Amino acid sequence: MSKLTEQHNYKGTLVCVEGIDGSGKSTQLALLRDWLKSTGHDVIFTEWNSSELICQTTKLAKKKNMLSPRTFSLLHAVDFADRLKQVIDPALKAGFIVLADRYAYTAFARDVARGVDPQWVRNVYNFAIKPDLAIYFDINPQDAMERICSNRAPKFYEAGMDLKLSNDPYESYIIFQGRVINEYQKMVDEFGLIKLDAMDSIHSKQVRIREMLKSVLNNKGVNI
Amino acid sequence: MTQFKTKHGYEGLLIVIEGTDGSGKSTQLQLLKKSIQAQSYGVIISEWKTSRLIANVIDDAKERNLLNATTYSLLYAADFADRLENTIIPALKSGFIVLLDRYYYTALARDVVRGQDIEWVKNLYDYAPEPDLIFYLDMPVDVLLKRIIGTTGLNYYESGRDIGFSSDFYKSFEIYQDKCLEQYEKMKSEYNFISIDGTKSIDEIHSIMNHEVQKILDSGVLY
Repeated sequence: MSKLTEQHNYKGTLVCVEGIDGSGKSTQLALLRDWLKSTGHDVIFTEWNSSELICQTTKLAKKKNMLSPRTFSLLHAVDFADRLKQVIDPALKAGFIVLADRYAYTAFARDVARGVDPQWVRNVYNFAIKPDLAIYFDINPQDAMERICSNRAPKFYEAGMDLKLSNDPYESYIIFQGRVINEYQKMVDEFGLIKLDAMDSIHSKQVRIREMLKSVLNNKGVNI
Repeated sequence: MTQFKTKHGYEGLLIVIEGTDGSGKSTQLQLLKKSIQAQSYGVIISEWKTSRLIANVIDDAKERNLLNATTYSLLYAADFADRLENTIIPALKSGFIVLLDRYYYTALARDVVRGQDIEWVKNLYDYAPEPDLIFYLDMPVDVLLKRIIGTTGLNYYESGRDIGFSSDFYKSFEIYQDKCLEQYEKMKSEYNFISIDGTKSIDEIHSIMNHEVQKILDSGVLY
């Protein structure tokens, strides 16, 4: 039984944003964070692949192209487990609003796009706490590539070059990220991710997100 | 003699020695390696927690007490995956006899003692090829204690002090190793361990293992 499908009983609130790089999720989360801070809420922010325990190792291994789909998946699971136990879980118990830039869904999308068994990776992450609000920023790979690759080529793993889909990093990126997006779209139903159109204006997306968060908080008896 | 078939479908053989620390695994592996080599077979040894990717991260994290039960499990699983994909499977594919000092049964025992759900741990390793032979060196806890105290001394994680069974080092070690043995005991029949009394002499143990390996080699599976 996975915790990801059961509502948690913590005092705090867990919000995560998902989507491929360039979908604007970090911008939206930063705006949300500033607003929550200015309204006097206890907020904590955590992002994918940032745990002290492992993130340097993962970054180095990526640089040297040492990772297989399986080790790629497990190292990110280590990072996630470390942050969950060290940061997310205690903050939720203490009543914080926890803002997570990427969550377990990132692993489900990327690892499965790399050929890892969907049920296997879901089982690996079955200790993850279900977010109160999980927002997915939907974008097509061409638009995302235009945004992030205006002054650089796609990176090796970002382009899925490890899968040998194409020798051209741009072409590989489009195929690989297309697969990732396909996995995200399936999770809209599976996990109730809320899909927003990444091409909408920054303002209109932020308005929607604040509305949704307000309603989540109100349901918990928190006024905002 | 019936035709022997490998359980994993690769050309080589996968042979595992399991047992707790101080049970004499490494000594036996070296002896087995020598006797197999003497017959002109290709043989390699691969030990637990030696991946180029992650082994030093585990050592470092242990030294600084950074691990919780979940990251402990996952780091070992990553180490295992890296070794499996880069060392073990390529060797098996090219027809080597791969001798393993510990296999995922070690993770099952240790992680479950640390409170992880056994099904969750099994899932982490469910893609691992099934060994052709699994030797288990069975040692009573009091003999183990003496051996370890007399050689390496009590180490933090090997004594399960991260779990908090007891603040007394000796007591903690005893409880931890006892619980690990209990897990191994459960796995004996589930995974068809060839259980060997670890208190027998080095030569006696070697000759039991060698006999089992020889039976497979004599079947001509590697010709």
